[in-house]
Amino acid sequence: MTSTRRDILIGVVCLALAIALPLVMPGRYIITQSTLFFIWAIIVVQWNLVLGIGGIFSLAQMALFATGAYATAMLGFYWKMPMLAAIPMAGVVSVAVGMLIGLACLRLRGPYVALLTLAIAQVMYVLIVNDTDCFTTTGGCMPLFGGVRGIGQFGDIGLRALFPSKWYIAHYYVGLALLAVAVTISIVVIRGPLGLAFRALRDNHGYAMSRGISRFKYQLWIFAVSAFFTGIAGGFYAVHFRVVGPTVFSFSTLLFLIAMIVIGGLGSIWGPLLGAAVLMLADEGMRELSDYRNIGLGLLLAVFVIAWPNGLNGWLQRSRAGRD
Amino acid sequence: MVDAALDIINASAGYSGRIVLDAIKLSARKGELTAIVGPNGHGKSTLLKAISGLVPVTSGEIRLDGLRIDRLRPDQIVERGVIQVPQGDLLFPAMTVHENLLMGAYANSGRLAERLDFVFTLLPRLKERRNQTAGTLSGGERRMCGIGRGLMAGGEVLMLDEPSLGLAPIVIEHIYEVIFNLRREGRTILLVEENAERIAEHADMIHLLDNGRIAWSGLGAELMARPEIVETYLGV
Amino acid sequence: MDVLIQIVASGLTLGAMYAVATIGLSLVYGSLNMLNMAHGAILTLGGYICYAAIVHAGLHPVLALLAAALVCALVGLLIYFSAALPLLRAENFETNIFIATIGIGSVIENLMLKGFGPYPIPQPLAVDGQVVIGNVHIPLQNVFILGVAIVLMAAVAILLQRTSTGRAIRATSMNREAAQLMGVRVGRVYAQVLALSGALAAVSGIMISSIATLTPVMGGDPMLKAFIVCVVAGLGNVYGAVIAAIALGLLEAATQYVLGVRWSFATLLLLVILVLIWRPYGLFGKQQVVRL
Repeated sequence: MTSTRRDILIGVVCLALAIALPLVMPGRYIITQSTLFFIWAIIVVQWNLVLGIGGIFSLAQMALFATGAYATAMLGFYWKMPMLAAIPMAGVVSVAVGMLIGLACLRLRGPYVALLTLAIAQVMYVLIVNDTDCFTTTGGCMPLFGGVRGIGQFGDIGLRALFPSKWYIAHYYVGLALLAVAVTISIVVIRGPLGLAFRALRDNHGYAMSRGISRFKYQLWIFAVSAFFTGIAGGFYAVHFRVVGPTVFSFSTLLFLIAMIVIGGLGSIWGPLLGAAVLMLADEGMRELSDYRNIGLGLLLAVFVIAWPNGLNGWLQRSRAGRD
Repeated sequence: MVDAALDIINASAGYSGRIVLDAIKLSARKGELTAIVGPNGHGKSTLLKAISGLVPVTSGEIRLDGLRIDRLRPDQIVERGVIQVPQGDLLFPAMTVHENLLMGAYANSGRLAERLDFVFTLLPRLKERRNQTAGTLSGGERRMCGIGRGLMAGGEVLMLDEPSLGLAPIVIEHIYEVIFNLRREGRTILLVEENAERIAEHADMIHLLDNGRIAWSGLGAELMARPEIVETYLGV
Repeated sequence: MDVLIQIVASGLTLGAMYAVATIGLSLVYGSLNMLNMAHGAILTLGGYICYAAIVHAGLHPVLALLAAALVCALVGLLIYFSAALPLLRAENFETNIFIATIGIGSVIENLMLKGFGPYPIPQPLAVDGQVVIGNVHIPLQNVFILGVAIVLMAAVAILLQRTSTGRAIRATSMNREAAQLMGVRVGRVYAQVLALSGALAAVSGIMISSIATLTPVMGGDPMLKAFIVCVVAGLGNVYGAVIAAIALGLLEAATQYVLGVRWSFATLLLLVILVLIWRPYGLFGKQQVVRL
């Protein structure tokens, strides 16, 4: 079976299982947690394009997610834009920001990119949190970007009105649909000429450049492509939780996402999803430990990377190869 | 074997799964100049790296004065007196000539002043440039600094990887003069060289390395008397 | 004029603290190619250990500082043996160690959160009093910090330039294979560098918390700034990093005065982005020739 066929098979099976889930286990907690999983999975799958395939050490994904969330909230709050229009717009805004970041990182290599993107995210956070000037006073003092309390009341995509008691199931399917599209795009990119070019650039960029593959163009492309759905995920997050605050920049969330992509395996197609699933489950398990959650997470991450430098997916592939 | 300083006994070596050297058998005898020649990319540098402990020996043995060294760490091998002057010098670019020489004596810091004197006498250009940063030296000066650095370690066996690489002919002559002098003084030298002609006269033993194996061994004069070997393997 | 003195005084103090925090990072990156993301947590740990040593164990402040430096040096060693050593044997070392140290840093930080609580605590290792220059009152603490920093930097410089250990560290940073051929045990160099980096981070943490306060998350910002300093100077360039750290301190003091605290980090970052676009290898860094 060719790898593309195998991908399609895996995708279809997972999709079928996911579609069936609410019918089998309609409990609200499981459904809403799964919806959250979809959101993180979208981010991680897109991030994989930049980090795993493009080999660009960017930590900007959180910032792009936050951009999408904030853009959606602000478009709704200040311009009263309906969410169905705001979310795609937020995706576009994220693309713009993503391309700017890509430009800034263009000539940088490896760790420089990581530091720069981390610093950018930190600055965004600092600017939002330290802004205490009241931009608007309707309903109390609120800074331009919402300050520490965040922005709320910016609208909804309408499913709450349509399905008053089961809206969370509707959101589940929306999240699933978005994830499915995001994964499809990811597969198309990875298996297509774009992915090939990225791999060439990553593995031996001198040679790739001598063959006419322009690092400039492809780097911007990959930032843009990965930013779009990350921003959309941010928008969906916004309407799902109905408030957007600086917690979207939280380091513990970044840690969580890093763990997903690392444990699942960088660069592979299904790795990030696997990692996301594993980590959501582990998080459930550690929920009892509340205080120790972050310690557990950090420990899990460190131990995992040290013991399996190639991630879960790499390990699975090697054991499969060993069996053949 | 009383006379062998360095014995390579059926040693194979390689990088992560790829075997570069296949069952090499040769010896560097005490006080002699042993040369390894052959086309590029066929394992000559790998051999020296394997002896120095930088590339793992996958089977066989390497012995120094009868004692195994192939499982030792690189720093332990240097401590036992097997010193390599690597290809391309690998000087410490931001350090001065003097500091580079001091680094050469890192493993063996006894009689430092004496050895510095010896190196400066042998290579007077280095003395002139002793406070100059290594990165600013000319090609020939760099080569001399590399050799000087190797000599600072004292050591029993001196290994040189392509000492003539990238140098002008007149500089190469000077470098080889130094090397042959060392040989005359009784040092054990293991030399890797692409161009066999230059050393054919002076080498006590020549081994031809082709595709990771020893294809021919013998005296320099013998090699020159066999033009077909010279042409096939050394493409002169 | 008074304003200038004020800015220079704060700037030098900030710069001194950043410089001490940065030397360790720069050495670790230069020799190991490792971005130690646990550095901020170690810095914080140093501050807390000092506090605990003085308040709970009743130690003399100097002893407390030494205790903190020692503990953090040990933590550095621990990181070498548990993370760096195993990962050096695998591929993708740079990426893996980056992530592993993020995890380790998070563990350390959260342990302190658990142990000392989230609320700010004052750092007891502080000197009272002021120095007066013209009309400007400069806290003695600042002068003290500057003094300690200068002494430390001189000590590190002597270590690097005049001892064989220091030479071995520099050699390993410049060319690892060549260093091995000289008989340098690079594993030991790595351990030494990580231990040294830990000790320096501890001192930096004590300094920073003595001017601000001790909180479990205080390490993030200084670490990020230390990294920025390293990047601007060219990763691995220790002396350039010291100069850049002092420059950053002065710049931060100036922008804080002109634009207010909130905008200073953003302005700094913008400047750094511009510098990196103009000189991708940092102001003093040299482009590494990649042999294809």
